[in-house]
Order: sequence, then C-alpha cells, then structure tokens
Amino acid sequence: MTQEILLSDHAESTRHNAAPKVVVFACKWCALIGADAAGKNKVQLPVNFRVIPVECASRVEADAVIRAFSSGIDGVAVMGCHLGGCRYNNANHRAAKRLELLRPLLDTVGIDSRRLFTSFGTAHEHHQFADVIGEFYRRLQDLPPVQAWSRSNMNDYRRGDT
Amino acid sequence: MSLVEDARLKAKNALEEGLVDGVLALARVEDEPYPYVFEDAAETGMLELEPKWLLAKLAMNILRSSRQDYRLGIICRGCDERALNELSKRNQFDPARLHVIGLACSAEQARICLCTKPYPASIALGEKSEGFDPREDERARMFLSDDPGTRMQHWAAELSRCIKCYGCRNSCPICVCEPCKLEDDLWVRRGEIPADMVSYHLIRAFHLSDTCVACGGCTDACPVNIPLMLLQVAMRETLANNYGYEAGTDLERLSPVLSDLTIEPCPPLMEPGWLDSLKVNHET
Repeated sequence: MTQEILLSDHAESTRHNAAPKVVVFACKWCALIGADAAGKNKVQLPVNFRVIPVECASRVEADAVIRAFSSGIDGVAVMGCHLGGCRYNNANHRAAKRLELLRPLLDTVGIDSRRLFTSFGTAHEHHQFADVIGEFYRRLQDLPPVQAWSRSNMNDYRRGDT
Repeated sequence: MSLVEDARLKAKNALEEGLVDGVLALARVEDEPYPYVFEDAAETGMLELEPKWLLAKLAMNILRSSRQDYRLGIICRGCDERALNELSKRNQFDPARLHVIGLACSAEQARICLCTKPYPASIALGEKSEGFDPREDERARMFLSDDPGTRMQHWAAELSRCIKCYGCRNSCPICVCEPCKLEDDLWVRRGEIPADMVSYHLIRAFHLSDTCVACGGCTDACPVNIPLMLLQVAMRETLANNYGYEAGTDLERLSPVLSDLTIEPCPPLMEPGWLDSLKVNHET
C-alpha cells in the first residue's frame, strides 16, 4: 500500500544503520488515512516499513511494542488521533501515557527509547505522514544498530540462521 | 518486651477480643518458619517475625476461599501492606475483612531489599527506619548507570542466565492475571530456554509498571540471582515525578495511566508545542 522507493540521499554510507526496519501502528481514523493518501499520491517514502492498521492507538499495548523490538525491529511508531479528537472516549490519552511510561523501561535495559515514536494527530495528510515517517527513519539511521541481544538471538536460533 | 513478644501479644489480643477469626503470620514449626493462620489464642507462642516472607497473595487466597464473614488479621511489612492495597484496588478481596498489624522493617532489612519505604502506613510493631535508595547501592548502580551501553551489557549478561522458571511471576504478590500473557505463544514461546530476553522480561516488567510495590519478591525468588526489581526503578520514579503517584500507598487513587490527560496531565506530553515524540528529548 504505502511502500515506495527509499530516497537515495538518506542512505549515505556515514549512517550507522542504512535500512532500519520500522513497524507503524496507525490509527484508522487519522494516520492510516495519511498513509493511504501517501500511497495514492505516490509520495516518496522510505522502504522497510510496514503499516499495521489499528482501530485506535490505544489498541497498541506496550507488549506489542516490546514484542516488535524482540523480533528484530529497529523502530516502532504509534500514530493516533489528535489528543482532542479521539473517537473512543479519549482512549488515545491512555495510549500516550502508557507508551510514555514504557520509555524508562526501554532505556533501563539499554534499548534507546527514541526508537519508539509516538505521534498524535500529526499525520493526517499524506505529506505530513511522509514527513514524520521520513524524520523518524532518518533518526533511526543515525542510531547505532540494535545490539545483538535485543534483536533477540533467540529468534535467530529458532529460525536456525545463526 | 522484645519485638516478637509484642507481636505475639498483639495477635493474641486480636483473637481474644474477637476482632479477627484468624491471624496470618509466620510460625516456627520443627525449627523452620512457615506461614500459619493462628485461630487459637493459645498457639500464638509459636509466632515468629523473621525472615521476611511475603504474605499478601496467601492472605488474598485465604479471604477468597473462606466464608464471607471470615475476618483475617495479618502481621505484615510495608511491602505486603502496599501489595494488599493494590490487590484490593483490583477487587481481588474485600479490604473490610482484613485487619492489618503493621510491622516496620529494620534498617538492615531495608538495605538487603533496597527498599525505599520499609514501613507500613500505620506502624504497630517496631521502629520506623529510613528507606534506602537503590541508586546508592554498589551492585544496583551497574544496572542503573548513566551509560546506556553499560546498562545494556549488564542486563544482557544477567538476563541470559534466566532459566525461565516463572518464579518472578509466581512470587509477585500482584501478578494475578488469569490467563497470563507469559504463557501465550504469541508473546513468549513456551519451552524455550533461556526466555526471550526482551519479550519475556520486559512484558513482565511492564505489566507491573504502575503496580509494582518494590517488595523485591521477584529478586528473592530468582534462582540465578537476577536483580529483577531494578527493572522497575525507573518506571516507579517516572510515575512519582510525572504524577506524584506511588503504587500501594493509597487505597482510593487509581493508576494515573488510566485517566485522561485533562484530569491527570503528564508533564512531558504537556509542554507547549508538543505534537509528537520527535520533538521531545527523552534522554534526560
């Protein structure tokens, strides 16, 4: 739907991580519309990201973010509606608070909490979506690759490719 | 009168006055301490206070399985009391049926547990001693150091020794979910040792983020001595800084992550111009 070709100037050799893997949880009332429109309008977007539509940002448990990191994802974005515009009784407020509380835990074990990106109501239009994803993507490129252990060597053992 | 004699007397009085039907505490049976429900005032001579033994989950199970008007007394430490508060906030039992006899821990015990609050809200036994900041401890400092690389190194080394016995979950006085996500293949693959270091440990830690009362039960239970309680330190500090909230200290106040930002604002999300987390520097 929304995967386009990576802009070549982002993939300089000086970057730590040329092609980080990103999971985007997009609220269907806001960021998903932006993502869809970005695809329709053929906006250039980074590759290596996947959009997972969710009914509301609050549907994204912290566990899902943790599980993404453990399966080797470099960055997780959770995008919901504007904090005044939730359709589900301000559920996005809870999501914002919960994910904010996840940051210190990620930092404690050394997973840089900047790898978790939360955004509320900033990606409704296709160019806005492209901008925030691009900015997040460039930030991930500048971060050193996730250390082997948090990429979960367990997953690699399982697949037998180590 | 020594502390333990005082405790025996208090338990005896509570039983004789008919204030409670039983008192949950430790008893010395064949020279070993065990949790025991004293229902006969004459038995209270066996009552013991040491070692530290978390009784909150036991108390919950006793209250659940006994008749509706059964009133239970409990000799409990600060951590146990906070755990009981959290459990009753989650409707696990009726707090009116519980009579708490609070025991303050010694300074030495607080140091062993890295406990910031080694005393219950109302102290019936012992003297209140100062709490101990986990960041002051030599060993804990490695896990909470300022350098993310150092932290990651230490945690990776520790967590790789995990034998996935689920002791941390079982010993936790507040882990009561049924079914448990840690037994679900979607989140944590079963039968895989060591546990997936990120998903098993971080999911467990995050589920307790706003509930952990820092009793140290997980650390004590761990057979390979992983200091699991230290995973919670940063989250507990964040809750205290952002909302002035500490789990277990208030029977009424619910976790602030359950409320609107308009009711309980979260300062990092309230800065002028905050739109998304790209604009906020979290490395503070």
